[in-house]
Amino acid sequence: MRRSKINSRPILWAMSSLLAVSLAASAARDPGASAAHRLPWREAGLTAREAAARLLDRFAFGARPGEVDRVAAMGPDAWFEHQLAADFPEARVPAKLAPLHSLAMTSEQYLSTYPPRAAMYREAVAAGVVESKREVGAKGPAGAAGAAAANDAAANQVTGLDRPEIREKLLDFARRKGYRTQREAIGELVSQKVYRAVYAENQLQEVMTDFWFNHFNVTLTKNRSRPFVMSYERDAIRPNALGTFRGLLEATAKHPAMLLYLDNAESTANTGAHTSMARSVERQRDEGGMFGGFRRRRLDEGMRRFGAEQKAKKKPQGLNENYARELMELHTLGVDGGYTQDDVIAVARAFTGWTVYPPGPLRKNVQTRVERAMRADVGFELQGDFLFRSDTHDADPKLVLGHTLAGGRGMADGEDVLDILAAHPSTARLIARKLAVRFVADEPPQALVDRMAQTFTATHGDLKAVLRTLAESTEFWSPATRRQKIKSPFEVAASSLRALGAEVTDPVDTVRWIARMGQQLYAYQAPTGWPDRATQWVNSGALLNRMNFGLQLASGRVRGVSLDLERLDGGREPESREAALATYVPLLLPERDGGETVRLLTPMLRDPALAGRVVGAAPEAEPGEMDEETAPFFGRGARQEESTTDRRRETKSGGKQDYFDSLDRLDRNRPPLHLEPPTPLEQVVGLILGSPEFQRR
Amino acid sequence: MLTRRVFLKGGGMALLAFGAGPTFLNRAALAAAPKASPGRRKVLVTIFQRGAMDGLMAVSPVGDRSLASYRPRLGMSAATASEPESAMLDLGVGFGLHPAFSDLTPLWKERRLAVVHAVGSPDPTRSHFDAQDYMETGTPGRKGTASGWLNRAAGLLGHDATPFRAVAMTPALPRSLYGDTSALAVTNLADFKVRLPGADHVAKSAAGGFESMYEQTSQSLLQSSGAEAFDAIHMLSDAHLASYRPDPAANYPSSPLAQSLRQIAQLVKSDVGLEVAFAESGGWDTHVQQGTSNGTFARRARDLGQTIAAFWTDLGAAQSDVVLMTMTEFGRTVRENGSGGTDHGHGSCLFVLGDQVDGGKVHGRLESLAQDALYEGRDLPVTTDFRAVFSEVAGKHLGIRDHAKLFPDWNGGRISLLRG
Repeated sequence: MRRSKINSRPILWAMSSLLAVSLAASAARDPGASAAHRLPWREAGLTAREAAARLLDRFAFGARPGEVDRVAAMGPDAWFEHQLAADFPEARVPAKLAPLHSLAMTSEQYLSTYPPRAAMYREAVAAGVVESKREVGAKGPAGAAGAAAANDAAANQVTGLDRPEIREKLLDFARRKGYRTQREAIGELVSQKVYRAVYAENQLQEVMTDFWFNHFNVTLTKNRSRPFVMSYERDAIRPNALGTFRGLLEATAKHPAMLLYLDNAESTANTGAHTSMARSVERQRDEGGMFGGFRRRRLDEGMRRFGAEQKAKKKPQGLNENYARELMELHTLGVDGGYTQDDVIAVARAFTGWTVYPPGPLRKNVQTRVERAMRADVGFELQGDFLFRSDTHDADPKLVLGHTLAGGRGMADGEDVLDILAAHPSTARLIARKLAVRFVADEPPQALVDRMAQTFTATHGDLKAVLRTLAESTEFWSPATRRQKIKSPFEVAASSLRALGAEVTDPVDTVRWIARMGQQLYAYQAPTGWPDRATQWVNSGALLNRMNFGLQLASGRVRGVSLDLERLDGGREPESREAALATYVPLLLPERDGGETVRLLTPMLRDPALAGRVVGAAPEAEPGEMDEETAPFFGRGARQEESTTDRRRETKSGGKQDYFDSLDRLDRNRPPLHLEPPTPLEQVVGLILGSPEFQRR
Repeated sequence: MLTRRVFLKGGGMALLAFGAGPTFLNRAALAAAPKASPGRRKVLVTIFQRGAMDGLMAVSPVGDRSLASYRPRLGMSAATASEPESAMLDLGVGFGLHPAFSDLTPLWKERRLAVVHAVGSPDPTRSHFDAQDYMETGTPGRKGTASGWLNRAAGLLGHDATPFRAVAMTPALPRSLYGDTSALAVTNLADFKVRLPGADHVAKSAAGGFESMYEQTSQSLLQSSGAEAFDAIHMLSDAHLASYRPDPAANYPSSPLAQSLRQIAQLVKSDVGLEVAFAESGGWDTHVQQGTSNGTFARRARDLGQTIAAFWTDLGAAQSDVVLMTMTEFGRTVRENGSGGTDHGHGSCLFVLGDQVDGGKVHGRLESLAQDALYEGRDLPVTTDFRAVFSEVAGKHLGIRDHAKLFPDWNGGRISLLRG
């Protein structure tokens, strides 16, 4: 962030702080002080092991083998403080992420390594590798008339993609250029999410990253924002996940992924409004002085050329309210948070000119103009890929939620709006409630929400302080809020892999399963993010897939995951199914009452038909089932899907064949899974993972 | 005799015997919802044509001179003797149907198929993403709408439901079905069971274990959804999933769309409680070499037309309960571009099929295509808001009265499209 806005607007904060004066003192306690016995788990009648299990269920993606004992030994309070500080050394994550090269790239590197198709086509055409559709079209009967009607969008396409020789040419071209598929980068993005959830020691940071990404949702399904989703999580979300809300708000507001997803990048001052640049030019004219004449001439020339270029571009101009509305409705105040349509318009006007300095091949279209504007000092601001354009910013005064924003201040308008929203009591309530929903129950106790909201306000949105209020509450530890949450599909997968102590070498198949259970990672289309409630995840189809995931994971049918189930019990082989059940329920569901699960499963395990048939030769997999292995990336499970990948994948942008997908498939040559019949232990573990109890946290 | 509990959304639970006679769900429906006609309920089947179909190529005003001059390479003659297969099919009402839709002409002649022309969104966006989003939420211009219109429609049906009430034949739930009412995304009905590749007997036994665990769990949502899941599995096996064959007269092409519609017909005929179905058809973004009677557009149109015709035949006696509607996010430029294609435009057209449909007509109002009448000087103007059509179909066919909930922020009038 450029500078702290908190200090620059003391009055606003002080006023909202007055509401919570009594809490300010307790919330401002030194976080470095001894953490002993602040969490009231003893008062709730829990043992240290029970407290550890509950913390790991909520502030982590479940317990790994032996972890409940380790956390209990360290002390639940100390563990929680380390999680807030995110200061555990990471033993496994760096090595797991090292081969995923895209994760460390700048946007510039990312886009030049994984170019969008259109850019790659353009280049291939320019290099004479293939013909553009425009040329092909121009050869048609209508010739010149048709060509004149062609627009820019049309120039991006290459004809003949259905012809193998054309595809081969493009493939060759991409290989020579060292280009890789966006799909591959997306594979790395989803993989890192799984790796971190499974292996990170600083689990709370990952849980909160997941939470805030969903709160400030963007999606891979929108072509324009897709290349920025990785850096959005890396640069805007994760570093702020345990920081301040105001920090998150600004980081997301200025990130290309959000600017493009909610269209603020397109939002410009309405015709008739004064722009900041016009004002800035006026001011500089007035300054006059010794070099006044020269300066004026340079400015005039600059403005003239700028205007001509703007006209030539013929971009649709005007206000786009999408970001402004969702910023208030979803990110801060909430739908009943007390704003009007006039506020939406005023906020949209405040954010005019907040746009993207496009990295990659598109930069050259604007680079000269932006550099000229920066040199002319007409109010442009550049922060990485974020660009503030004074020429499209509405510089007239605005009234936002009762606060007057004076005219002519450029980028400060938007930053002030973020201050106003971050300090608003409705925001405190919305965020407090959402956190309580995530960590306690779909319908959290109102008293808890109120106290968290007070802490939020008193600490100016210090997220650690809010989480501390949560964990120090009696509600958090009360038996009434125990196991109240249904895990999301991602949590099901991550907690399964953790509980089993699984070795994950390629998470992509796991990610397919997560999609089948109802959660396509990074691909929720609506800015609401996934609703965080049981009914979102639990329906008949999704539930069946949870059962199937458990069974198939435990029996070695999820690719890229290896297990050693016996090691969980010190390498002992269970003597019977019943014995396995009795041993593995407490291993996989630590400190839960597994009695019900054991009781219900026992009769089934005695089924002689089952026992009698588990030995013998491995049956051949049915062809229909094997197709899972070659199914395209996002959770498509059937044979028909494979043949239709190209069309399916393009649903958002139309119907073009996806060249990059085919490239990816060409490179894929994995052997099929060897489908051994599951051992009795694998069956039992599969049933436990698919059980109702394992779906809860 | 075996008995099973059948959970019905909305609280009903019936103890039923099964194994003989009509499918047990059928009886459940009778027992729980006396108002329902015997057998199945009304079903709305929707097909989203992703990519934006060129409505002016699908259904063209016959003899429009300006269209011919806008589209020198895309024009098709009205029926001429020389090349009958490649000519527009005369619909007899001043419009010609693209010849690749020839499988639909019997339905047109029977007055079951109607076209609504110049239909679209009031929002000017030409982005596929935004326009699809707006059409699927039913709230043009608003990104934050949490639910899709089909989900709201399913929720407003006001009677008990089975797990198959709202089904999308897609790998993930489409935006149209986001929302509070539970909806199923499934691409292959055969996958709807407890599965363990290579170990069917174990899967079967595990299914028994899961069923008893979910039956007795104390968490009520897991319990009811678990019961639903296993009921659904039993329903499908009762519907003789493995041995099911479509009507031999139904001539489905071999395409993903046809696969989807074939399974939708199967669900309809199996009486498993389907009421809202969603399928999608890709490939309509014809920027390049759109073709005329052959080519990119024609291939997509042939698939769509053949699939719809086969679906209708396949339905047989169930036809009277089904209305099928197509939709697409926007239309395409009135002028062809330099590559023999068309670019993103505004208004398009859609098809509605059903026994109660006021068919054999082109509904809506197609304005003159003169240059100054075009939307932003380039596109077909929208004269019918898509919600005027969707709410008519949802209202008359599904009996949904609460249009303020179905399409919040909209109080336009419905277009008259269905009888009754």
